Amino acid sequence: MVNPILLIIIPLGAAFLISTVAGTLKNSTKYIAFLALLGNVWISISLLPQVMKHPINVIISGIKPPLGINLLVGPMGTIFSIIISVAGILVLLYSFKYIEGEGQSKYYTLFLLLITGSQGMILTGDVFNLFVFFEILAISSYILVGYAGDRNGFEAAIKYLILGSVGSIFILISVALIYQETGTLNMADLAGKFASVATGKKMMIMLFFITGMGVEAAIFPLNSWLPDAHSSAPSSISAVLSGFVIEVALIVIIKFVYSIFVMTEILHYLCLVGVITLLVGEFAAFNQGNIKRVLAYSSIGQIGLILFAMSLNSEAGLSAGIMQVVNHTASKSILFLVAGYMIKMTGSYQFKDYKGIAKKMPVSSFLFVLGVLSLIGVPPFLGFFSKLNIIIAALAAGNVFNTVMVFLVLLGTVIESVYFLKILQIFYIGEPVREGIKEAPFTAVFPIALFAVVILLGFLVLPEINMYAGSAAAELFTKIQMAQVF
Amino acid sequence: MRKFVSIVLLAGFVFYFATLTGGLMIPSTSGERSSVGLDILSRTADETGSANAVTSVVVLYRGFDTLGEVTVLFLAALGISIFMKGTGGVRKKVLDQSFILETGSRLLFPLMFLFGIYIITHGHLTPGGGFPGGVVIATGFFVILLTSESINFNKTLMSVLEGLAGLSFIGLGLVGLFGPDNSFLQNFLPLGDFNTIFSAGIIPIIYAVVGIKVAAELSSVVFAMKESK
Repeated sequence: MVNPILLIIIPLGAAFLISTVAGTLKNSTKYIAFLALLGNVWISISLLPQVMKHPINVIISGIKPPLGINLLVGPMGTIFSIIISVAGILVLLYSFKYIEGEGQSKYYTLFLLLITGSQGMILTGDVFNLFVFFEILAISSYILVGYAGDRNGFEAAIKYLILGSVGSIFILISVALIYQETGTLNMADLAGKFASVATGKKMMIMLFFITGMGVEAAIFPLNSWLPDAHSSAPSSISAVLSGFVIEVALIVIIKFVYSIFVMTEILHYLCLVGVITLLVGEFAAFNQGNIKRVLAYSSIGQIGLILFAMSLNSEAGLSAGIMQVVNHTASKSILFLVAGYMIKMTGSYQFKDYKGIAKKMPVSSFLFVLGVLSLIGVPPFLGFFSKLNIIIAALAAGNVFNTVMVFLVLLGTVIESVYFLKILQIFYIGEPVREGIKEAPFTAVFPIALFAVVILLGFLVLPEINMYAGSAAAELFTKIQMAQVF
Repeated sequence: MRKFVSIVLLAGFVFYFATLTGGLMIPSTSGERSSVGLDILSRTADETGSANAVTSVVVLYRGFDTLGEVTVLFLAALGISIFMKGTGGVRKKVLDQSFILETGSRLLFPLMFLFGIYIITHGHLTPGGGFPGGVVIATGFFVILLTSESINFNKTLMSVLEGLAGLSFIGLGLVGLFGPDNSFLQNFLPLGDFNTIFSAGIIPIIYAVVGIKVAAELSSVVFAMKESK
């Protein structure tokens, strides 16, 4: 059996290795990063058959929990590991040509640490360890947002840094309260002991946790950093930040609410927050002229939709939410990555300057269309099935509240399609004004095309996707037992 | 209006935290609630061979967290070196330091360095260890930096040291994967005689690595700030 801890250790070790050899290898360090992520993809996929039978408990330092730290790798963790590794390696491939100039090795070090943090947050079975990996993820994303070194990037990074730090303090207080109240940091142990905590303290712990994690997950009142950060970062980084970083934070919230705190009474509230986040994101995206801001606001909308689906208090909702994560990761990555080269070619962030760009960049524009169609949810793309599943799951409860929510979700989708179709119209109508626009290089088009294959051919393996998402949902839906880790 | 809203919000927070501190002030009673801490205290000497229980927690029981924390520090240093490069500004005219200050600091530096090494190597016996020891060494560099203008600093060496220290931490952990428990960061060395310098298995080695890493990272932070004018 391959030890799942390698999913965390390989990118971390590769980051240290790059720092060691950066002086001699210069820009060839990118191949180290590529090999490390290739290893991650292979390990995460090879783990899938095993975790479907029963979750793997990895003990660290040879000390059994609750005294030591452990990783608890179930279907949910493995599916997200696969999403992170695959999206990571494709975006890395895109970065080969996209990131230019001296000091590239720092970019790859940070990128690998971002992957390390995400993998750790998903796989860990310990609350404080989760905080440590959250810090790794958060700090590496602050730096990557400002990596380009221009004024906007710097401003966005500082904004993100301040909000993110306040968020992590909330998480830290929550972790401290957890330890004070239950005397344990192990998730399985905590799940058993949390019921005996006084109700007021329980509420406080959970609200602090959701608020802190919510900053990173970009839930509505806490997401003011996102449009700046995602639009000022290099496009490859925007793709990762939108693609899996916010989803990782969201899934951690969901995991805590369902399988550790077991406080399902808060779910109605989260449902409502999800729909508000969705509407705020879509309405704000509608008015933007900057293509990356449109995509950033659309990410807020999508994260709202995923939050809504996952807060439905049913396995079907969770499963549909996970499917929507897959769809969003693939389609939003396509959009951001294509936008990256369009910005590079035209020198403009405003999509009104992209008139007739499809004549010069036919492949990229076509891939952009595919991404948009799947994001809106046009059949037979993956997005159609995930949105359909969300709506079915929401209406299954049969109450008025959910029906109203579904109506609002559909309204959000309509707005989404209006502003995306407006952009597509600009792409395909008119003549390009600027000379010298040419197709993106192969190292960019190839990974984008692979993302497109996922959303385009997803329906062929729909039963498998449903099965894996279903068992991940079942894992999230049940309380973690101490017996699983001992 | 804006001021009013902020005052109301602030008052709310103050009220909230005032009620909260009541709960936080309760001493952690040594009842069954804090079972993990007591369990560790009662078995650390036999299990890890480290005379300092805090070190055994930092390096072994929660060693994986320490690896993460070292990475956070590594990231912070990297971030500072990236962001400081962009900041310009006029360099203030630096006056020559007095001869006494410069000589004094050069005299002090080896002592501080030695003291840092002492703290690092005795981490499993007395309070201290890799983190504080590394900070002491970095402070030595900081003193030199403040007092003398013409110091030559090898940035590549520091980044190689950082990377190598991180790799050795991971390498030591990976050896454990081939041990009896197949567990990362397993203590695979003999525990030795309790309360002597060669005891506690891999704990002092890991702490030495952490010390090198912390010292290299903090020194490079200080030098990055100096270079940014």
